[in-house]
Amino acid sequence: MNEIFAIATGVLFAIGVFLLLRRDLIKVAMGFYVLFTAINLFFLAAGAFNASQPPYVQPIIAESVGQAIPRGQSSDPLVQALILTAIVISFGSYALLLGLINVASRRFRTLNNDEVNQLQA
Amino acid sequence: MVEFTLISSLPFVLALLIVWPPVRALLGRGGQTLLLTSAIALMLVVYLGYFPYVANDQVLKLDLPWVEALGLHFTLYIDGLALLFGTIVVGIGVAVTLYTGFYFDDDQETGRFYTLLMAFTGSMLLLVFAGNVLTLFIAWELTSVISFLLISFKGAKSEAARVGAMRALIITGGGGLALIAGLLILSAAAGSTQFETILNTDLRSHPWYMGFTVLILLGCFTKSAQFPFHFWLPGGMTAPSPASAFLHSATMVKAGVYLLLRLEPTLGGSALWINALIGIGLITMLIGALFALQKRDLKALLAYSTISQLGALVALIGMPESAGIKAAVIGVLAHALYKAALFLMAGIVEHSTGTRNLDKLGGLRPLMPGAAVITALACLSMAGFPPMLGFVGKETLLDAAQPEGLLTTVPLIVMIISSILTVAVSARFAWDLFFAPAKADHHEHFHRPPLGLIISTGALAFMSLIGGVLLGPLIVPLIDAAVQKEFTLYLFPPEGLASPVFQTSLAVLALGGGIFAIRRWWLTWPDLPIPTGNQAYEWVIGAVNTCGDLLLRTQNGKLRHYLITILAGLALFIILLNFALGNLVQLRNLNFAFFNPPIDALRIVLILLAIITGLGAIILKKHLMAAISLSIMGYSVGGIFLLEPAPDVALVQILVETLATVLIIIMIARLSAKQREAILSVRFNHRYSVIRDVVIAASIGTVVGLFALIAVENRPVSSSINRPIALHYLQNTYRDLKITDTVGGIVTDYRGTDTVLEITVFAMAALGLLTLLTRPESRELIYGKAVQDIDQDFKKQVRLAEQAEREYEKELGVAQNERAESRMSTPLTRKIAALVLPFALLISAAHVLYSGVAPGDGFTAGVVAGLAVALWYVVYGYFEARERLNWLVPGRVVVLGLVLTLANAIMPEVFGGQFLEHITLSETWSPAGLHFASTLFFEIGIFLTVFGGSSIIMEAIAHPRELEERDIE
Repeated sequence: MNEIFAIATGVLFAIGVFLLLRRDLIKVAMGFYVLFTAINLFFLAAGAFNASQPPYVQPIIAESVGQAIPRGQSSDPLVQALILTAIVISFGSYALLLGLINVASRRFRTLNNDEVNQLQA
Repeated sequence: MVEFTLISSLPFVLALLIVWPPVRALLGRGGQTLLLTSAIALMLVVYLGYFPYVANDQVLKLDLPWVEALGLHFTLYIDGLALLFGTIVVGIGVAVTLYTGFYFDDDQETGRFYTLLMAFTGSMLLLVFAGNVLTLFIAWELTSVISFLLISFKGAKSEAARVGAMRALIITGGGGLALIAGLLILSAAAGSTQFETILNTDLRSHPWYMGFTVLILLGCFTKSAQFPFHFWLPGGMTAPSPASAFLHSATMVKAGVYLLLRLEPTLGGSALWINALIGIGLITMLIGALFALQKRDLKALLAYSTISQLGALVALIGMPESAGIKAAVIGVLAHALYKAALFLMAGIVEHSTGTRNLDKLGGLRPLMPGAAVITALACLSMAGFPPMLGFVGKETLLDAAQPEGLLTTVPLIVMIISSILTVAVSARFAWDLFFAPAKADHHEHFHRPPLGLIISTGALAFMSLIGGVLLGPLIVPLIDAAVQKEFTLYLFPPEGLASPVFQTSLAVLALGGGIFAIRRWWLTWPDLPIPTGNQAYEWVIGAVNTCGDLLLRTQNGKLRHYLITILAGLALFIILLNFALGNLVQLRNLNFAFFNPPIDALRIVLILLAIITGLGAIILKKHLMAAISLSIMGYSVGGIFLLEPAPDVALVQILVETLATVLIIIMIARLSAKQREAILSVRFNHRYSVIRDVVIAASIGTVVGLFALIAVENRPVSSSINRPIALHYLQNTYRDLKITDTVGGIVTDYRGTDTVLEITVFAMAALGLLTLLTRPESRELIYGKAVQDIDQDFKKQVRLAEQAEREYEKELGVAQNERAESRMSTPLTRKIAALVLPFALLISAAHVLYSGVAPGDGFTAGVVAGLAVALWYVVYGYFEARERLNWLVPGRVVVLGLVLTLANAIMPEVFGGQFLEHITLSETWSPAGLHFASTLFFEIGIFLTVFGGSSIIMEAIAHPRELEERDIE
């Protein structure tokens, strides 16, 4: 199953890159969002996967044994922690990106990426 | 030794003092001159006092380890040679410092020059006293940089000064690179970076000898203006005269000579050393003298004469007998005295008459009798007349070049010819300037030079005379300390006229005089067609510029094309790498088996949904449709997280997705409809461009997909349940933190530093957005207009915004009006919205407090509250929402959150714990079985930061000023 997630990561990445290469700046921003999502999916694929329980432990058993025992087969907590913070950061970056596009649209009076060519020598 | 170091650092201290304008103003020009001159004079006295100590092979040492592992020490190593050079630096320095005080017309320039002069003096002393190759290199580069600054001293007005400074920096800087490479290899060969060790190691038979010697010689030759690098020195004559006298004749250009003398005991004597030094030195000596003869410009004449003398010194160091070393050391001293005096004199002449051109000058003796005497003395020394110090220098030079041992007669002949030419050059400087009849009536503009200039120059010239006359008591001890070998030094040879060297000296003087007498004839000759390194330099610089222009043509400024190039290059690189290294991708254990068919089927459906909606973002042209399609993609991924099962992540994903959807829809609505129409109507200009983009996207997707597959396949799987690292967390979270939510434990404790940094990044992104969209300061960025235009513009905008605000306030009085209704603001929605925010805050509180035992944590809490704020902005509109939210200043909430987080992280350290250490305050806290520990404060900090950040984002995008602007357009 993880392999299917890995392949899906690749497909979403291709979609994201294709969007990045559009002229339309709004589509470019969307491309970033697809890439963020694809990377989160990759984290999930890299984690252990054959679980039936969320990564919570049972304190009652734990106190008697001195060690917590996962309830059933737990999902991988590490990748979840990584994704958790990544989601919030992605949102912040996405908001900033949209703000920059807003600024670019007013400064250059266009949403066409090719017409924003102030870098030209 | 400590006293010595302290007094040697005096120039740096003075430079730091003088660079401060209030100090300059306080001292005035006279005060600066007095302070600096007396400080340098004090150093001269102290240095002279140390000579008896170093005379008998004693060495002053200071060693401060710096970066021990790199062999980087701050080391001073002062033997006789170093002390002699240091004495020359401060000796010439006294005269130059005094001279400077009277040279410039402008007080500002005086202060600037003094700062550079002191910094240079300090660097040059560090260079000669350095006891570690790296210490030496730092000082070496410092002198190059200060030389650059001095050559370009008038660069603001003069193109020639800028070009000359650049050329000097490129040549000496390039030589510096060769030098550091050579010195590092030398240190590796000797096993130490300390000169003390290097000097006691015989490296002549080392296998790397050739390599490091050539590199070090390159460094020395560029610095000391040897052929073919000599051309930077005449180009550097745009520096003010005191700088030319000090740096470009007396001290800095001698740095190469000094390093050759320093390393001669270790490296000298080999065939490479002898051939390179004598060969290059003699060529430089001859062409320098030839070029000097033809120059009309006083300073150019002196510059080429300096080059000639430097060539002689380098050739002498290459002589296999120790007589060469003796001649080189005395040559350095003699040359420094007379040449510095002549450079200063050139400055006086320019100062008084306004020109340096020999064709226009003449007959200055009646106007400046003192200057005439001084010039005559210095020129006599340069020509080598007895009893001047220059005469001693020339005699030892000719003596050292005697064809003995390995030497043939070639060096002797070249040195005699060059000496004859030098005599003619000296005569030309002194006679044509002062004694020949005046050629033009430049005397109209003549004004008498200040006495300070004459005194400082005269002191140097008289030293040339006194040094020769009192050779035994004054000069011999200095040379003795420096050379450390048996030698004899005399003014007149004991044999008298029978000595062949003495006879040669007299013949040289006579022949030089003869050549000078027939100058009317050879002065009309065209310039000698000798190729110099300058052509090569110009060619290289031209080639670099051409390459730059060509490269610039590839820059079309379109971001998309850069991205295409980068991504295509990346894909190509990885594909080629795969071929080159032979199948990196070996997927053997791919396992597509289902674990739990019903759930897995659901997962696949969600994955397909995510991919289809992702494609929808491409295919759907309307921005709003594409945004909604993306939103569905986000929710499907949230569903995938839920099936993992990862309730915390799914909760955050779904909440953030909602917020992101609100965000992009408002953002799209803010953008100009005209521009959006325009971009939608743009078609692909080439049919192939789509195919190209598809190919690039597919390659990158394939590369990433394969990467992910390899990563998945190579996970270490030790048990059937979990990877070891996941198991580690599951087993230890409860024991360590007494919480049952493993994910929460990782976020707030195990990887807590990550979390601290990540919420900081989030806060910065939010603040950046607020600045971009609402701050007036960002207007220049937005409109690209000059500030004063913006000012006008901005005032208008503010007026309009205030007007709009007043209108809104009026509207508030009337509960229901058209505009309010157009914002979906019905009484019902308004009431519901009013309830939503407190309720959301309650949910947030629950998420924070029970983050350790249930899904939800500070992140979800922040996003839930942020969503409620977003709802308020949508329902109430910007101004009313701001008014209702006047208790909420998002910027302060963010700062409070960050401060709380950091305080919580640092607090354990105060009590002797570690950064972010977990502290359990109470295991269970009635009434609700709540876990009470330091992680709770961390969660509150996360909540405040995320809540504040989301509120900032919402405030920024709801800010109406931009809408007003758009209407105006």
